[in-house]
Amino acid sequence: MNTLVLKGRKIVEGRAEGEALVTREPISFMGSVNPKTGVVIERGHEIEGKCLKGKVLVFPCSKGSTGGSYMLYDLVKNGQGPIAIVNAEAESVVAIGAIVADLPMVDRVDISKIETGDYVIVDADGGTVEVHRKDRES
Amino acid sequence: MYLTDEEKRMLDGVYGDVVRKAMKILVTLGEIYGAERMIKVFNVHSPGVSYRVAGDAGLNFVKEASSAARCRVLTTLNTIGIDSERWDELGFPRDFALKQLELLDAYKTMGAVPTYTCTPYLVGNYPMAGEHVAWGESSAIIFANSVIGARTNREGGPSALAAALTGRVPECGYHLDRNRKGKFLFRVDMELATDRDFAVLGYFAGRIAGKDVPVFEGLKRRPTLDNLKALGAALASSGAVALYHVVGVTPEALTREAVISNADPIAFGHREYEDTCSKFSLAGDVDFVVTGCPHCSISEIGTVARLLAGKKVRSDFWVCTSRQIKTLADKMGYTAIIEAAGARVVCDTCPVLAPTLSKGYRTLVTNSAKLAHYAPGLWNLRTALLQIEDCVEASITGRWGDVG
Repeated sequence: MNTLVLKGRKIVEGRAEGEALVTREPISFMGSVNPKTGVVIERGHEIEGKCLKGKVLVFPCSKGSTGGSYMLYDLVKNGQGPIAIVNAEAESVVAIGAIVADLPMVDRVDISKIETGDYVIVDADGGTVEVHRKDRES
Repeated sequence: MYLTDEEKRMLDGVYGDVVRKAMKILVTLGEIYGAERMIKVFNVHSPGVSYRVAGDAGLNFVKEASSAARCRVLTTLNTIGIDSERWDELGFPRDFALKQLELLDAYKTMGAVPTYTCTPYLVGNYPMAGEHVAWGESSAIIFANSVIGARTNREGGPSALAAALTGRVPECGYHLDRNRKGKFLFRVDMELATDRDFAVLGYFAGRIAGKDVPVFEGLKRRPTLDNLKALGAALASSGAVALYHVVGVTPEALTREAVISNADPIAFGHREYEDTCSKFSLAGDVDFVVTGCPHCSISEIGTVARLLAGKKVRSDFWVCTSRQIKTLADKMGYTAIIEAAGARVVCDTCPVLAPTLSKGYRTLVTNSAKLAHYAPGLWNLRTALLQIEDCVEASITGRWGDVG
């Protein structure tokens, strides 16, 4: 297992560590995630059927309705949400959701270096994401 | 980002955790979009007030906020999911209505004004040109920026609430002169007579302009407020337009040079008009007729009343408006005429923000490009975009188009 530290920018302070769930596609929290179960329900999405609960959620940016901020808040309140957010470039919907949900969040991270299943430590105050990479298949 | 001492106190939690989070939202947005400082807003128009949009998540968030914070500036509320007085009689589901009323109570506790309309500028929230405001609701945003010349970004429910609780927004986007210039120039080559004509122009131009600022020139006569209301709502439906200019008409466009440079004009004439309308063609039975998206002005309700006097409608017909305008319509005798014909004057809500229509409608006739745009996706309805006189005619005959 090898380790690397990615630099980013703090959006919401805090620290969390856990397994990464990574998608290369933008996420809409309004209508694309079931707020009661945390499961991604958007048809054809790269992580359709995956559960966000307890994961460090890594994706490029948010998309869709501003109601998505409330949905992220609801997910976290229901105990079905991710434990931290890592974005390539923060967008207002997810940033607002993370603030109201007190979810550690960093952006401007090279998310191509992270894969689903990697163990990551998000230190938003320091603006870093420490990635303990699982063995790569190739 | 530079913050005043007062703004720092808000961010440090001196005014409590809700205000701290509100300021945190605004500072973070400012950092994302490169703002150098906060600016004061004197009024807010808050979207996300329909329970259909807010859901339990928004309801919980707003209730939590209302337990500890109050609006610092005039805050009017957008269209909701029910007629707040006649929901039972008009057939709105009880479970939905009770949740909606709970959400309204939370806003009331914070001191928000229960306008429940997408046309706050018709009922007392009318900023001055150049004033910084925080508005949501795409058709109201574009009216505030373009027709009034006030300055707002496209605020969502949480960011508008944050602005209401702090009286601040980050200085970015449409608050800055440099972002208010036109990108696309449209030359209008035909005479535009009705609100529908302006809606068709807006629908055409919005698809081209996307998120950028369109400029219109060549209008043969001065448009009315209702014309520009229809134009803006259409631009904000087919595109994500938040600001437009009409040369010689809107306040920032005294001349073409003031708002746009070096743009090749895009022509809008009869061919473009017919092409755009062909998306909304319908022939056959008309199940549902709606005017008032955005909410009807008193003039529009007067037109409907004049055309419906002494008639009976075959189709269901909603005339949507704010309660304040309905009070005027009541006094003018319009409401009595319209309801005697079998149509309904519905307040506070509209089909877009009400709970799912469940009456088995298949077709919709409206004079709103916004409603015609959303209806096929929201409820799988075929739609016709007609001028208001034809909407009324269709409601009386129950049919439209070339049918045998």
